[in-house]
Amino acid sequence: MTELYTSPLFAITAVLAAYQLAVWLYETSNRLVWLHPTISGALLVAALLASLDIDYHRFSDAAYWLTFWLGPATVALAIPLYQQWHLIRKMAGPLLLTLIAGAAFACLSAVAIAWYLGGSEITLLSLSAKSVTTPIAIGISESVGGLATITASAVILTGIVGIVFVNLTMKICRIDDDRIWGFCLGLSAHAIGTARAFERSPVAGAFSSLALCLTGSYSAVFIPLALQWFR
Amino acid sequence: MKLSGLITLLLFHLLGEAIVQLTGLFIPGAVVGLLLLFFALLLRGRVPGSLEQSSKTLIGFLPLLLILPSAGIFFLGENFNDQWLAFAGAIVAGTLLTLVFCALLMKLMVGRHD
Repeated sequence: MTELYTSPLFAITAVLAAYQLAVWLYETSNRLVWLHPTISGALLVAALLASLDIDYHRFSDAAYWLTFWLGPATVALAIPLYQQWHLIRKMAGPLLLTLIAGAAFACLSAVAIAWYLGGSEITLLSLSAKSVTTPIAIGISESVGGLATITASAVILTGIVGIVFVNLTMKICRIDDDRIWGFCLGLSAHAIGTARAFERSPVAGAFSSLALCLTGSYSAVFIPLALQWFR
Repeated sequence: MKLSGLITLLLFHLLGEAIVQLTGLFIPGAVVGLLLLFFALLLRGRVPGSLEQSSKTLIGFLPLLLILPSAGIFFLGENFNDQWLAFAGAIVAGTLLTLVFCALLMKLMVGRHD
């Protein structure tokens, strides 16, 4: 059976079914935020793997056909970005300043808190790129001496924390503006945040996409330089 | 069903990957592809219907595409057990602080800007 469990047919069927079930759970719970399809779907897949004793990495390789589409889906973010460009242009100054300060804050706050809580050097380095979209984050992490697997998980957990707490934090800060809502979520919580921002509105989604690209590109330069300086 | 929109996305992804390979750039090919497509749309001045449709569909499925990478968090291995407190603490607190920091900073600037 192991052979079948790590075949593309089984892996893709399982992930699609988990997604459909997760969407159903999310909708019937009246969009309970911690039942968001990315979260509940991941829990379902993890439960399946654990109960059938399937190796995560082999399973993940088998479903490559699905993960592959993350690339074209990233490129697709250019369309909403273009469609909302008239709004983005008007805010170029505040957006850029928030990017420069916010992306640095995201990196340094994580490293500082992990250091305070006694994390190892590898953990600290792997956390530095947590607010950056996965493919860029892994590149950054490896260049500063972190571990790709820890970084990938850090990025995911960051996204989940972002979408679970975005409503609460924005309420505390009294933010109702979709532009700010989207940009902050995309900056802090990359692609998972962006998927969530599109559920709010196309404007929030476009500002989140913009933050996702900018944070990724800026962090790719900033984080290696900042960490070098600290050593 | 027209495939031209999907093909456009794949071609820009491919172009992005090619540029990354040729220049050794540190940014993923998909992000380069996104930027190139964005500039192409600015030059063209409008979004073809098929491209808009494909983009909407793919973006709508983002939560599906992120499920498998997300499940990986449960399989970090036993060596990582003593790191969980620092790892989760930094992420939860750091992300909350980042959201608040960015929101307040932007509110301050946009309030003056408008």
